[in-house]
Amino acid sequence: MSAKDDLLLSMKTSVVDGNRAESERLARESLQAGLDPLESIDKGFAAGIQEVGVLWENGDYFLPELVASAECMKAAMAVLEPALSASSRQASRLGKAVIGTIEGDIHDIGKNLVSAMLQAHGFEVLDLGADVKLERFIEKAEAESARLICVSALLTTTMVNQKRLIELLHQRNVRSKYKVLVGGAPVNQAWADAIGADGYGENAMAAVRAAMALLARG
Amino acid sequence: MSDILSLAGKRIVLLDGGLGTELFRRGFPQGGCPESWNFERPDIVKEIHASYFEAGSDAVLTNSLGGSSIKLSCFGLSSRAYEINRKAAELAASVRPAGRFIGGSMGPVGKFLKPQGDLDEAELEAAYAEQARGLHDGGADFLLLETQYDLREALSALKAARRSTPLPVFATMTFDRKPRGFFTIMGNTPEACFRDLAAAGAAGLGANCSLGSQDMAALTGVLRPLTALPLIVQANAGRPSLSPEGKVVYSQNVSDYVRFVPEMIKNGANIIGGCCGTNPDYIRAMAKLVRS
Repeated sequence: MSAKDDLLLSMKTSVVDGNRAESERLARESLQAGLDPLESIDKGFAAGIQEVGVLWENGDYFLPELVASAECMKAAMAVLEPALSASSRQASRLGKAVIGTIEGDIHDIGKNLVSAMLQAHGFEVLDLGADVKLERFIEKAEAESARLICVSALLTTTMVNQKRLIELLHQRNVRSKYKVLVGGAPVNQAWADAIGADGYGENAMAAVRAAMALLARG
Repeated sequence: MSDILSLAGKRIVLLDGGLGTELFRRGFPQGGCPESWNFERPDIVKEIHASYFEAGSDAVLTNSLGGSSIKLSCFGLSSRAYEINRKAAELAASVRPAGRFIGGSMGPVGKFLKPQGDLDEAELEAAYAEQARGLHDGGADFLLLETQYDLREALSALKAARRSTPLPVFATMTFDRKPRGFFTIMGNTPEACFRDLAAAGAAGLGANCSLGSQDMAALTGVLRPLTALPLIVQANAGRPSLSPEGKVVYSQNVSDYVRFVPEMIKNGANIIGGCCGTNPDYIRAMAKLVRS
């Protein structure tokens, strides 16, 4: 294995292990060694995040591990991003996503996980927090030229606001500009279909997959 | 008055069902603070408790699941935590028939301990202690830490509740079914939860929420060998979904829910109730079953 492969594998391992200091150190080391930062992200750290996602879906990893790994990714990106050329910075970013928990709902654990995992996978995430007014989702998406709007609802009583958000996008004639992803404990594919959302994620990893598939379709 | 413990030694003790669902059915607005209705609509809170007693509950749980000062801070009510909890217990006690019990409900505070979040144990314990004192002073007979997903938080809560009141403290964690077994979202196993909570002095242990009655019956069998303490289970009425018309529907109706109750009992449950989506009809059907 070449020294580069070795380093890329260490990056991946640091993320899987949730070793933030090590991820940050390896990111610096890779720059000193002259590695292309885009390759370090893609084949090193992001590969680690993907493995963490698999471990999580298999029930081997839980919320603390997911949070720790997302922190690793963030630390590595903070080192590598300034070193990216303008063009590769663009390439490393999948697009902007506006995310929040819907109006009337203060639950943000699931939303925070999706936010962290989207970020770890290369989305620029604009997290509006919890109890976000419908108008605010749209205003932020318009102002930032986002491509994705991700809306979480944990309560059966607030889910209905996901539907209202989509209606509001139609009313403002901007529905086609955005892909809308819905999620939250009571939400399912049937609900997503019924309200005309573009996608649904049963969990944080599924949400990331749905987001990537939607943007790939353009 | 810890007679509920001796009762649980003699026969199945029946708790109540969902409280939130019943509040919504009576016009509680989405996104509101359910505990605020202890002061704003005490008549409705009492009516719900009374309906559960009437259906056959041996004990009802107070309207205080989100009553910790940390959770109440989302609604700007943290400074009223003590009185909100005290009132919650007083309302339930005011409609209690003789020989029945009041359980003080204490749910998670909604924020994470360090390093996943910003909370430290001291803040958490202070919040739970205040809530426990309010529930005790309002007349609760026992405390129930419920829907807990983080063992560290549950242990802090248990410690705080035991230190600040003389009441027996029960704890139910919420487990999901994963490929390798049952876990909380933090990855805590039933084994670890039961071992540590028993060592910290819990008077009863169990599981609630997340699972429908079929999975909960299976989990009961996993939990029983882990403790000699009374075993508490409160399942959801399956999974919730929302019809396109905005109506909340749970996947298990009364008969589908109740048909797994004999298995819960066979697997060793001592204290049984319902969680999200269940209502007095579920409890009435369970009462008929366990009393026959």
